[in-house]
Amino acid sequence: MSYRLESMASCFQGLIPATLYTCSKDGIPNAAYLSHVEYYDPTHVALSFQFFNKSHQNITENPRALVRLIDPDTSQGWTMRLRYVRSETSGPVFDSMALRIEAIASYCGLKGIFKLLAADIYEVLSVEKSPEEDGRAEGTSWIARDRRASLDPVFTMKALQSLGDRIHRAESLECLLESILAALEEFFGFNHSMILLTGRNEGELVTIATRGYADNGVGAEARFGEGIIGMVAEARKPIRISGLLRAMLYAYAVHKRATEQGVVTHHDRIPLPGLAQPESQLGVPLLVRGELIGVLCIESETPYRFHEEDRATVEVLGSYVAIAIQNMMLTERAEALDAAPAPRPAAPPASKPTAKREVVYYRADECVMVDGEYLIRSLPANIFWKLVTLRTAEGRTEFTNRELRLDKSLNLPEWKDNLETRLLLLRRRLEQKCPDIRIVPRARGRFALELGCELVLQEKP
Amino acid sequence: MTIDPDMAAFLQEGLPTHIGTRNAALEPSGARVTAIKVDADGEHVTVYVPLVSAPPLLDDLRANGQVAVVAARPADERSCQVKGTFVESWTPSAEEEAFAAQQYARALQAVEVVGIPRSGSESWRMSPCVAVRFRANALFTQTPGPGAGARLR
Repeated sequence: MSYRLESMASCFQGLIPATLYTCSKDGIPNAAYLSHVEYYDPTHVALSFQFFNKSHQNITENPRALVRLIDPDTSQGWTMRLRYVRSETSGPVFDSMALRIEAIASYCGLKGIFKLLAADIYEVLSVEKSPEEDGRAEGTSWIARDRRASLDPVFTMKALQSLGDRIHRAESLECLLESILAALEEFFGFNHSMILLTGRNEGELVTIATRGYADNGVGAEARFGEGIIGMVAEARKPIRISGLLRAMLYAYAVHKRATEQGVVTHHDRIPLPGLAQPESQLGVPLLVRGELIGVLCIESETPYRFHEEDRATVEVLGSYVAIAIQNMMLTERAEALDAAPAPRPAAPPASKPTAKREVVYYRADECVMVDGEYLIRSLPANIFWKLVTLRTAEGRTEFTNRELRLDKSLNLPEWKDNLETRLLLLRRRLEQKCPDIRIVPRARGRFALELGCELVLQEKP
Repeated sequence: MTIDPDMAAFLQEGLPTHIGTRNAALEPSGARVTAIKVDADGEHVTVYVPLVSAPPLLDDLRANGQVAVVAARPADERSCQVKGTFVESWTPSAEEEAFAAQQYARALQAVEVVGIPRSGSESWRMSPCVAVRFRANALFTQTPGPGAGARLR
């Protein structure tokens, strides 16, 4: 083999469809498009097997095959002569291919239908340039024009060091989260990013910080197993998708066929998070000693924005970020426990605000609506309701994390209650939805509830 | 087997299209084609294969005649494959080359729809071509999903 598979990583992104050629034992050739070709080892590739079709039947009869790929960096076409070896239904390569496919499937209600049946492993007998698909000069990127120098290991190390400095300087969870996302933009050029942390409910993540979106989206929830974020959380493994638009079109084509044949009867589509039309997504789990605390997801409107090297870098970063977030949450919790009690009651405001807001708490749903619009649910909703009722009944303006922790009615877990995270989430939601209701930190473990409006409270079953 | 006018129109609308052949050892070969044309009788198909890729394919076709051609529309992944038996090949006229170039330009537009800019393929050598005519004997749907690979005709 004159060309090394290791140096052809760009070809294995699935950005431009590959073509697979096979031949039946009775000599009838077959040509088909293929969604994924993956590097397996220096002498093997893995091809996605999603549907029982003629290609799969052929290779079980006659193992000779040929696959043609295009390098999206240079537009050079490559022709690989292959020999089918075996099919794998587990292992790291299968998992990586299956996760990516499942993440796409979950966006359009096809989980369990649009899936990887096996990774077909082929020995690569030869690699040649495809004569008609003559590429450009090396280094003239075709599609990913806005790639930065992230492939340069010196640049990457420097960026990681700079990010580390920012993390060490952060004095609060809020500051830490903002520093991480700002540094991803500044040092790596990742303009759209979000961090989600595990919620109180099993199998649920809550968006705690975002950067680069018109709507900050804080409070948005993602369920395990849904979309790239949910799949990352469920599998606790990173997922990188290039050319999401094409992948989605492929999945929708499958959905249409499945609907026509009665395999699926409804379209349970889940909206894509973040960007309206993301082309590339990269999600990494935030793990501390094997425990999932959240997911870091970055997106781009550019196809093939994130390369394999980016995935590796962000995965390393993710483990560092996870520990930093966990440590900060524990620090804030410990400091909050030591905080002095809040003074009570506070002096009444000098002048009464004229604007009114109607706050309704739905007890059964643990949900708060303000002026008929959804604000927040679950634990942050219970906390908010507690604060506004105390403020109204007792005239208090200052509160401590400690008293919330000791409040049995909030039903906080004794260990890892993530109270500081929930308060931050509540604060962000208020900033976005009701800027005249503010939670303002006063000191470690102490905050004020400031009102620029009068609240009319109503509790419903 | 005849290809109906609707299917002919689909194949000729300007789509990424590929040809596959095989040799005596049942080893497949393949290439991207510049254009495809369905004859008025619906029974024969001509594909315009870039000259630089044609020699091994022509060797296979002259030896055993077996050919497969697949086309797909990137916007909705609709795809079909025509299989057939080689009839003849020739050097296309200037008019045919122009026809092939126009259809190929439409194929580039079709892939631009899904975010793959045509600038990447500017250096590809899609002309001059060799015309390869074959008799169609089977048509299959290749649209991904359950039923992919089912015979249409």
